[in-house]
Amino acid sequence: MEKKNKNVLIVGAGIAGMEAAAQLSELGYEINVIEKEALSGGHVNQWYKTFPYFDSSKTVVDFTSRNNEKLNFFTETEITFAEKNGLGFKINTDKNRQILADAVLLATGFEVFDAHRKEEYGYGIFKHVISNADLERNFINGWPEEGNSPRRFAFIHCVGSRDAKAGNLYCSKVCCATAVKQAIEIRQHFPNSEVYCLYMDLRMFGKHYEEMFQAAQEKYGIHFVRARLSEVNQNMDNTLLIKVEDTLTSRPMKLTVDYIVLMSGMEPALKSSELAKFFGLPLDENGFFESAQALVSENKTCVEGVFLAGAATGPKTIVETINDARSAALSIHHYLQNLS
Amino acid sequence: MKPMIVNTLSMYIPTTQTNIDMELKGKERIWEKYQKEIPLNDYYYARSCIRQNFWPGSEQTFIRILQDELGKNILDEKHHTTCSGIAYHCDVVPLETTMTIVARQFSLMSESGYKHFVPSCITSFGVYTEILETWHEFPEIEEKIRKMLSEATGRTFDKPEFLVHPSDVIYALRNEILQKAKYRLVNAKTGEPLKCVDHIGCHYAKMFPEKGVGGAEFPHVLVGMIEAWGGEVVDYPERRTCCGFGFRQYMVQANRGYSIACTKRKFDSMESYKPDLIVTNCPGCPYFLDRWQYVIAEMEGKVYTDDGYGIPVLTYEELAGLVLGYNPWELGLQMHQVSVEPLLEKMGYEYDPTDKYVVGDKNINTRPETPNILKIFNHGEKE
Amino acid sequence: MSDLIQRLKNDVRIKEGLNACIHCGTCTAICPAASFYNYDPRELTAQVQEIIAKNDEKALTELLSSDYIWYCGECMSCKTRCPRNNIPGVIIEALRALSQDTGLFAESEKGRQQLMIKRSIGEWIVDYGYCVVGDKLNLNLFPEQGPNWQWVMDNMKLVFEKQGAHYMEDGEGPMRKVPEEDLEELRKIYDVTGATERFRIIEEVSEKKAKEMGLQFDETHDCEYFKHVYTYNSNKH
Repeated sequence: MEKKNKNVLIVGAGIAGMEAAAQLSELGYEINVIEKEALSGGHVNQWYKTFPYFDSSKTVVDFTSRNNEKLNFFTETEITFAEKNGLGFKINTDKNRQILADAVLLATGFEVFDAHRKEEYGYGIFKHVISNADLERNFINGWPEEGNSPRRFAFIHCVGSRDAKAGNLYCSKVCCATAVKQAIEIRQHFPNSEVYCLYMDLRMFGKHYEEMFQAAQEKYGIHFVRARLSEVNQNMDNTLLIKVEDTLTSRPMKLTVDYIVLMSGMEPALKSSELAKFFGLPLDENGFFESAQALVSENKTCVEGVFLAGAATGPKTIVETINDARSAALSIHHYLQNLS
Repeated sequence: MKPMIVNTLSMYIPTTQTNIDMELKGKERIWEKYQKEIPLNDYYYARSCIRQNFWPGSEQTFIRILQDELGKNILDEKHHTTCSGIAYHCDVVPLETTMTIVARQFSLMSESGYKHFVPSCITSFGVYTEILETWHEFPEIEEKIRKMLSEATGRTFDKPEFLVHPSDVIYALRNEILQKAKYRLVNAKTGEPLKCVDHIGCHYAKMFPEKGVGGAEFPHVLVGMIEAWGGEVVDYPERRTCCGFGFRQYMVQANRGYSIACTKRKFDSMESYKPDLIVTNCPGCPYFLDRWQYVIAEMEGKVYTDDGYGIPVLTYEELAGLVLGYNPWELGLQMHQVSVEPLLEKMGYEYDPTDKYVVGDKNINTRPETPNILKIFNHGEKE
Repeated sequence: MSDLIQRLKNDVRIKEGLNACIHCGTCTAICPAASFYNYDPRELTAQVQEIIAKNDEKALTELLSSDYIWYCGECMSCKTRCPRNNIPGVIIEALRALSQDTGLFAESEKGRQQLMIKRSIGEWIVDYGYCVVGDKLNLNLFPEQGPNWQWVMDNMKLVFEKQGAHYMEDGEGPMRKVPEEDLEELRKIYDVTGATERFRIIEEVSEKKAKEMGLQFDETHDCEYFKHVYTYNSNKH
């Protein structure tokens, strides 16, 4: 059978889905992409610059969209049902379409932890408590005009992560590097600002991350305090009073700041459990999709013909996501070759 | 009688414009999450050690409001005792002792035919909740306590169907109380809502947030009352801080610095908001918020209001009693070191100021000594 | 496993309150005791964790003999915050219980204060049925009560009557005289549940300690030792 007769359904048009789609379409497969938003590009669409080199996020989105005209998009569409159909799959959508697929790639990405859930942080109550996602939007859309320039910022690591009370025990991996990046961006944007990073551990694991951190300290004078946010209160002048312990000096500490940025972690995409049920897939203890094997088969699942790419299996950086998408494309290619 | 689930939001009455929309929406989100099933009748009342001593009028007012105003059924019987909560948190009695005394209280409730247990004290509420949760998670401990109670007293017990605090009950009935209100929490001269600081006892919701109306961070139980009755709630940075009882940190004189320092921190934080009153739902908290103002005045010359009288501190029953127009001296306001009269004046309250210290039918004219710094209303004469 | 360590582990409050600390400090951040004393609930939790993991009886004995476990005010603010669901305030309860039952409480300045609490709250429960009794909270022991309370005490019965209460009389109501048969039940509960035994240890160990310290000791609130533990503060906290 010719490749041209084989088609792949890619669920999610974020950069994982798009990179895999670009690769697979180049290999000659027919690609259907189903996406719940109106645009492709996923979360990266809403980000300003990337770490650690401060390249624009738009570049990444544009790159992964390079073969878009070869793809069949079903945007603002969600899966309502799926089942096996011979060797392939039959998928129904909420727009009353039925899609047949020889292989399915779940690239459903992630959800940003809803910081409202950390009630003691005052997100959604105090105006100047914002999330990492909100901050990116502020950089894209422009900071709100407010009398005086905000001067003091506190970045709070581990929001919704490593937290039994938030329901997520795991580390979301990318937030530390994001915090350092955003802290630097704030220092650049507000030259008179004073910025604190309140961290638990600094996950500077990637290429050039440690150097970025050092620059944050030396070039940008960002204060790193090993502390976890315990409580936020608002003063009469709308500044924010935060309570932490500086754990390296064992002293309770109060800090008055103008803005608090909550580094919300990555959670599984909202419909993960529903999709898992349709395709008969297990979820791991944190609700992300479970791979066939953690080390050597991250892109495969226990169901033949269903594959995984990107943050659908757990928090990932952009470079990891791109590589993972390519790896998934290759796995799918081999699978489809062996079918015939 | 089947308890009704109280939809806390449907009773929310929007108030002044001081809360910006976002703040309100954010808080409402949280209040919606922490709704609590509060039975509306048939209560077994277990009194509080501290309230019986210092705020007896408050406990009597609770019974009066429920029975006389709202026609509810509440049992006040004489065989119950302390739950030993203070001794427990001073660590002087073993955990099993407190659990068995609690079991005895439940036994008294069961044998009286009641299922809704209402402990007057916040520490009690925390202790009862903690014990029920522990028994739920470790049923072998419940078994052991049943045996101990039986061995000591021959008693058996049923666990309550509902455990709620009296402030939950007043909260659930705040609109009914509003129907009978003679006064609102409003400045009679200016028409402005009175600025009220709400202070929630730590043991109400910090241990088990889902057992408190509104949870631990933005509790709604007193906010709901204040706003229903016309007042305005003042939030301030040290709102969630403990009043500083600290149990042994107060009981032992050598430790008392902890207690006063903690309370002072709250006063220093709330001062610039110029509150007209503080309302609390814990027995100990009003004691400390009241007495330490006196001590700070005498030690440091500092009073937290411009008029020199200090910020009046009320229990929620005293607040409800004022809204209903009760005689302040039946409410027990004369038990407060910080004079409550400035508040009564603000409310345009009709009362007899000269009756404050009059006791007995022989009209014995007694008076306390006045402090050096803290000003006191005395027999209608301002001092 | 050392017996002392096992006794600690058997306390349900250790089972509920100790779940491995990640040193985030959210407990210390809002702990009143941490802001007034050289006390750190994070460090305490980590210490207890280590002690149990290493079966270190010597370290546990030292901890139970120190002032460190007596600073907490048991407000439980820490419980709201810990991302590992530890509860330092409840771990403290378990430590204080063991410290008294082993007699080690008398080795520390703050621990010795338990005698005062036993002889007040502890005894008032079975003597009156209340943890606190108004006319015992006099201005000698509690000067902060203020002159208004002195007036209340001077006119107790009548002040109570005005509020619909009957101080120390039969019947229902606030500060009623709790019937003797109910107090008897509390006494029996004390016996069966170990309170009587703990009180006995507190008295016995305190008496020994008083001898060591050269302070006069008897069963009243006026003896030298009682006054000392009630008022003495080394100001080294």
